[in-house]
This record gives sequence, structure tokens and C-alpha cells, in this order.
Amino acid sequence: MPAPEGHLLHEWLRQSAAAHPHALAIVEEERTTSFAELLQQAEALAGLFCQLGIQPCDCIALALPKTSEAIVAVFAALLAGVLYVPIHPGWPQERVDAILEECGALLMIRGEGEALRILDLRTRQSLAWTAATEAVEPAMLPRIEPEDSAFILFTSGSTGRPKGVELSHRAVSAFVRWTAEEFKIGPGDRIACPSPLGFDLSTFDIFNMALCGATVVLVPDHIAWMPRFLVQFVREARISCWYSVPSILAGMVRDGRMAAHSYPHLRLILFAGEVFPAPALAALQAVVPNALCANLYGPTETNVVTWCRVPEGFDGQQPLPIGRPCPYAAVRIDESNGELLAGGDSLMRGYWNRPEETAGRMVTLDGIPYYRTGDRVVLAPEGDYLYLGRLDRQIKRRGFRIELGEIEAALLSHADILEAAVVAVANPRQSVCIAAFVRLSAPDTMTMTDIKTHCGRRLPTYMLPDRILFVDAIAKGGRGKTDYLALGKMLEGL
Amino acid sequence: MKIRNEIREFVASQFLPDAPAATITDTMPLITSGIIDSIGMLGLVDFIESSYTIEFMPREIDVHKLDTVERIETLIRAKLSGRAEDQEQAALQ
Repeated sequence: MPAPEGHLLHEWLRQSAAAHPHALAIVEEERTTSFAELLQQAEALAGLFCQLGIQPCDCIALALPKTSEAIVAVFAALLAGVLYVPIHPGWPQERVDAILEECGALLMIRGEGEALRILDLRTRQSLAWTAATEAVEPAMLPRIEPEDSAFILFTSGSTGRPKGVELSHRAVSAFVRWTAEEFKIGPGDRIACPSPLGFDLSTFDIFNMALCGATVVLVPDHIAWMPRFLVQFVREARISCWYSVPSILAGMVRDGRMAAHSYPHLRLILFAGEVFPAPALAALQAVVPNALCANLYGPTETNVVTWCRVPEGFDGQQPLPIGRPCPYAAVRIDESNGELLAGGDSLMRGYWNRPEETAGRMVTLDGIPYYRTGDRVVLAPEGDYLYLGRLDRQIKRRGFRIELGEIEAALLSHADILEAAVVAVANPRQSVCIAAFVRLSAPDTMTMTDIKTHCGRRLPTYMLPDRILFVDAIAKGGRGKTDYLALGKMLEGL
Repeated sequence: MKIRNEIREFVASQFLPDAPAATITDTMPLITSGIIDSIGMLGLVDFIESSYTIEFMPREIDVHKLDTVERIETLIRAKLSGRAEDQEQAALQ
């Protein structure tokens, strides 16, 4: 059976539903959804969007956990030519409000199971959505082009407001088509990707399902947080392809007793989003010696642009390179500062409604537009790119991208906090510790708990500082700028 | 009170190093407030499982059940009484 043609993500679903209507598209614990059912439900919801007056290129927010309904809503949005904006249900209200305002979403879908609701943000009216919603004539749906936008993913913004990365069908297709071909993904595969919808990793499972006729096996929330439960899930759900951040895999090997079992179905393990500590990666490979393991690299703005297969018998003595360019990517180094520039078919259209910020991060060389990744790299003699570090204050924690400036902005939004500086240091559990230095308006006006609670109302939990240090003054260097190096050194001494 | 105080001591030592354990009340949210993050939750579960010689299964624990000292105690007591029942059953068979 040939793979669906073209670059339109929802057309892949239409073609797969025609080719194998009864095959399983989604498995969610005891619930299953076939390709035919998924298409029918998505077309019905797309019709509802049209009836509600939602036009192509409008935005709708999906405030949903990664459930079967969320995947229906994703394809409904794509069919209707509407840009979907994933919103993690656990995000604090202030962040959600900032994103809704930024993208101008007209609808928000939220809730779970029977309680799914569509909130019309124009009228504040709410209506129920069930899978039984009547189908719509496909002719009602608009014509979509590959260059049209598919969705917006919001990431941390250094000025204190999250920014939206706008991606086209073609950009997503470049990555998904490459993975399907390179890793030979097909109808027999059962793909798990525990990343939430708002994470670019989540394009892998959902769209490979549509393109290749594979099955997405959703990782329930009550499993996803605990390494031991995840290991059991991979085994019992007979997962064949896995894609996650390294932290999750390292946790499964370290804390999940992964080595106590074998995983005969698991043939592909992909990871991205942060550096995989080499010894932990060697330990993973030893547990699944027959699985192909590969490191994928790329920021949300370009999705994956380079990749590196973990060599057989990887001993963990050297860090793994980020590898060589994917065939659809254009990659080069800015010789002035060692920054990796990334472009090609998977490049974003830009930051939503922020042309100046987009222009500030883009550079055109020899007629090719590139995104300035902010990652410092070097090209090894063998032709692999090696990651050296960041050029700015962005960090990764458990694969989540964090601008430390956004945490400072959240701290400074409290009237009793006069100054704040945030630094990140490595901690023994192979993660990152975020420390906030805080100068209060008067001693004892706030406790550590007050500050954590204040931040918790504004920031997702992965961005919350682990340590808060009250200081009388924040170290300054020349020109009165915060001396982050000195603050980092202070932490080492504590 | 013993279980509650043990949990309080652990949370204070791991997540609020500069605060006395007594400042953590029985109903103070620990996870939803951001005091304990997801990695911290794993440490908390490790501590509970090893201290009381119990092992949780999926669906038995979640953010809600671990969010306050009071709920953690309820969780531990339910698991301990379940284990006692299991042992009685085993003894009868």
C-alpha cells in the first residue's frame, strides 16, 4: 500500500481512512478509534466550526490533555483550515489568558470525556461537543494549500510573555515524511509519545499515524509521571516506536526497573529536546540492544534539522553528537560566534503576530532563510555537529524550553519584589536546578512559600524556581548589569 | 500524628530547606502550589514506599492524593490497611 501523497496533514488521514478504514488509529486504554471513526468525528467537528462562523486562518485553542478527543479536534481544525493552539490543561490561568489574548482564539475546547465543551470566546457561550455530532458535507470545507498554517505552538518568551511559533503543513510534513521513510514506520507500528500536544515532539505520533496507518497508543496521565508505570506500559501495550525527551527515558532506566524485563516489540527509540547524559544513554541501549536509538535535534522553530543514530555498543564515554542534517534541512554555522543556523522545508512561518521578533531571529544567506538557534556548535572532522551550549540564557529542563527572563518577569510582577535574578545550575539528579535571587521591599514581607505560590499562578510547574535566596543586593558587573556568573558561583558555594 | 510529622519533616528538608517543618500545615497544597515539582513527586513517592514498605500501582496515586500532608496520610493508611487485609486473606488460605 503506497503512503498517502502530498503535504496536507488531514489529507493523509482521508487517504488512510479510505485505504484501511477499520484499522486502529488510536488506542487509549480500553477505548479504540478506527481510521474511519476518526475521520468521521473530525469532519463532523470541522463542520461545527464552520457553522459557528470560524473561518480559515482563525485560531482555536485546544485546552485538552492528549486524549482521543484532542486528536479528533486536531484533525477537525486542520480540515477546517483553522489554526489550532494547544494549551496544557495544567497551565496557570494567567498564562492561558496571555496566550488566548496573543493568538486571538475564537473558540476554546476544554474538559474531558463526557464533559467536553466548546467555549465561544466571542460570546462566552458554551456548548457540549459529543462524538455524535452530525457529519458535514466535505464540500463545505475550505481548500487548504501546503503553505497554509496548521498550528501555533507557544514557547517561553524572554520578555515575560510566551511567543507562538506558527508552522505550516509543509513544515510538519517535511519532518514526518522523513521519519516515516528513514525509520520505516508502517501499519503494524504502535507509536507512543508521552509529550503533550503543545510540544513539537507530538507531531511525530499523531501525523505518522495519519501518514503510515500506524496506531497511536496514548499514554494516560496517571501513567506518564511515574517511570515504573511507564516501563510497564511500554511492555504491556507492545509499543514499537517511542519518542520522548531524554529525561523520561533516563528516568525509566534509572528509577523504573527497566532492566528487569525485555521489550521484544520496541524497535525504535527517538529522543530530542535536551542533551541525553551519555552514561544514561549507554544504560538504555544495554537494556534494549535490538532497538534503533537516535538523537534528533532542532528547536520548535524548525522542528528536527539534524540527527544521529546511537552507534552499536555506545559506551557513554563521549557525548553523542547532534549529528548530520536531515535531507529537508539547510544547516550552517555562523563563523562569527559558532551559532547553528537552521532552515529548510521545516522552518516556521514566523512568530505569530510578532514580525519584528521574527525578523530579529532570522537571517538570509545565499538566498536561504535561516533561524538563529542560539545553540553554539562545532562541526567535527567526521561531519557531525557537536552541541557545545547556549549563547543566551535559555535553558532546558526535562526537555521544556525555559527563558530565565520569563521567570524573572513573573517574580517582578509582585509589588514586594524589588529585584530578581534567576540562574540555573546542574543538580545531581541529572536535571537542572533553577535558583531565584530575590530582593524584597522590606525584610520578611514574603516567605519562600509566598513566592512559590505567586510564581505558580503565572508559570507552568516546570518553570518554577527550586530554590529561592533572599539577598540584600544582587551582584552587578560593569554597566550595572546583573552578574549571572557571580550568582552561579555563589550557588556552588552554598 | 506520627505519619503526618514524618511527611512534614521530609517535605521541609527536601523542598523548603529554610522553613521549619511546623510551618507546613496539614492542608497546605504542596504540588499544585509548586512547592514540589514532578521530579520532587517521584522523590516523595520513593520516600513513602520505602518508609512504609508499600508499593503503589497506577491509579492509586496522583497529584490530588499527594497534594497535602493530610491526603498523603490517608493514602498511606489506606494502603497499609489493604496490605493488612491481604495478609489476613493469605493467612486464612
